[in-house]
Amino acid sequence: MEDLFTNEIVRAENLKKTFTLSRKQQRLEKTAQTRKVAVDGLSFSANRGEIYGLLGPNGAGKTTTLRMLSTLIRPDEGDAYIMGHSVRKEPQKVRDCVGFLTGELKLETFFTPDYLFDFFGAMHGVEREALAVRKHELFSRFGIDAFSQVKVGDLSTGMKQKVSLVISIVHDPDVVIFDEPTNGLDVLTAKVVTDFLAELKRMGKSVLLSTHIFSLVEKLCDRVGIIIDGKMAEEGSLAAVCGERSLEEKFFELYRGIKGEIV
Amino acid sequence: MKLVALIKKEFHRFFHDPRLIVTILLPGILIFLIYTLIGTVVNTQEKYEYKVYVAGESVLTQAIEKAVEASGSTVEWIPADPEEGRNAVEKESATAFLAFSENFDETFLGGSVEIWRGSTEESLSFYNLAVAVLQEGAMRFAILSHSFETEQDFAKTFIAGLLPFLVVTFVFSACMSVTLESVAGEKERGTLSTILATSVKRSHIALGKIIPLSCISAIGAASSFLGVVLSLPKLMGTDLSVLGGYGFGSYVILFCLILSFVPFIVSAIGAVSTLSRSVKEASGYTSVVMILVMLMSIVSMVVTQFGDWVIAVPVLNAVIYMGKLLGGELPLWQSLVSVGVNLLYTGLLVWLISKMLSSERIMFGK
Repeated sequence: MEDLFTNEIVRAENLKKTFTLSRKQQRLEKTAQTRKVAVDGLSFSANRGEIYGLLGPNGAGKTTTLRMLSTLIRPDEGDAYIMGHSVRKEPQKVRDCVGFLTGELKLETFFTPDYLFDFFGAMHGVEREALAVRKHELFSRFGIDAFSQVKVGDLSTGMKQKVSLVISIVHDPDVVIFDEPTNGLDVLTAKVVTDFLAELKRMGKSVLLSTHIFSLVEKLCDRVGIIIDGKMAEEGSLAAVCGERSLEEKFFELYRGIKGEIV
Repeated sequence: MKLVALIKKEFHRFFHDPRLIVTILLPGILIFLIYTLIGTVVNTQEKYEYKVYVAGESVLTQAIEKAVEASGSTVEWIPADPEEGRNAVEKESATAFLAFSENFDETFLGGSVEIWRGSTEESLSFYNLAVAVLQEGAMRFAILSHSFETEQDFAKTFIAGLLPFLVVTFVFSACMSVTLESVAGEKERGTLSTILATSVKRSHIALGKIIPLSCISAIGAASSFLGVVLSLPKLMGTDLSVLGGYGFGSYVILFCLILSFVPFIVSAIGAVSTLSRSVKEASGYTSVVMILVMLMSIVSMVVTQFGDWVIAVPVLNAVIYMGKLLGGELPLWQSLVSVGVNLLYTGLLVWLISKMLSSERIMFGK
């Protein structure tokens, strides 16, 4: 039992998040309701050294869940624990052990990757010597060294994403949370990112990622949680969830069961 | 260490961007150039040596002489009969000819004065001066004013009345230009959220903005202030020696008063910027703050008597006591309490910004 607890790095318990809809959002969603339940009683856990994928269509609540886990927003109900720290009660400790990458968090285009790496290292309290070593490792690994003194605004989209990625893990966190990490990337950069996720797993890190790409989950994830309309439709190891079918077939079977026809 | 890194980042952002440096220093340079130009144009009046023929007598000639001297010119009165005077003006050997009716001063209401002038610039210039004085005299009596006010006294009164208002104006515009971009701009671009995802305390993020932005704003305000002070000799036609008339203590208190409301204004703009979703929205809210601040500094110019309650009003307290200091008084304890009050309000605003940075609705609400 103790072994099970120490392996369980992330535990979400009955997470619920509701947003108030603006009039514009009400018009867009064609609803008269003023509130929308984005995440509705979501529970799951991820273990040390595994990649856990949250799979779901747009608007299913994946990003909201990851934002709650990274303490950017607070759950209305329920709680989540990252390495034993509550996201509600100990957000600062959670942020210390989590690296969060999402398209919503941007880097100032005026600064260079070199400057930003040092800055965010300082924000996480990383010692100067350790920071220099880590910068050398990560910049070489991602081919950023040649661009380290180029302003972020002048970098290509792929290079920007690489810089965002290395900065999100500047403090060598035990838990890495990536929201749609390959979105908008060309195939080469996407491969660099997916290879790195696998490498993180080999290093014993726990990775949580959200995606709507079936192949990415099948290729990388040990376990998967399928979210539809903010609820966990199915969760477990890839083999247990899919059985004999492909992940895509399983997903649409679940989707039809909950929502009816696809269009 | 985290706070230091945040402060250094803001300074780095500012001092490594030539455009931002120009933005903050340019107003001061422009103010200096424009005020100097205005002063040069206004004070560069042609100096004349008027030669005026006069028939009859009146005390008004003394008043005209005073007006002429004030304009930097001189006048020579030459008694003449009417025909001689008119001929001299016509031949341009005299600037003008004034003919006062008999017993002009005694029969003020019934008397008359004739002015003959030529077509030269010099003649027109004298004519304008003389008519202005005569019209004053036509209001039944001539005013020959005498004052013991020295040029320095005048400069001191001018400085005490206007400088606090100008300081507040310059401080506010400097604070606005850097704070809106740094706080609302970062929020709008999503770069502030990236910092919020780290373990740094929200209070450190707030202080990491307010401290460096206050320093940068102070530099901008100092640039504008210097622009005004250095252009004063040309603008006012006076020298800067009046500034040497204030004691060292006055300067220290003045400096403390200014330094106390710079972070207050930065914090106030910082708070509305944190509350806003974009720079545009923040600019709208800031214009309301600007009206309030400007109103306070204008009120201080118009109203001369305030109770001690003024100490409790941020910015207004500093403006009032700056005015008193520049007017030659030394309101020591009131100034020091004002500094404390302004810093206290700044602390409250920093606390408020920290709370707003922790608010999901404010930081991530759509």
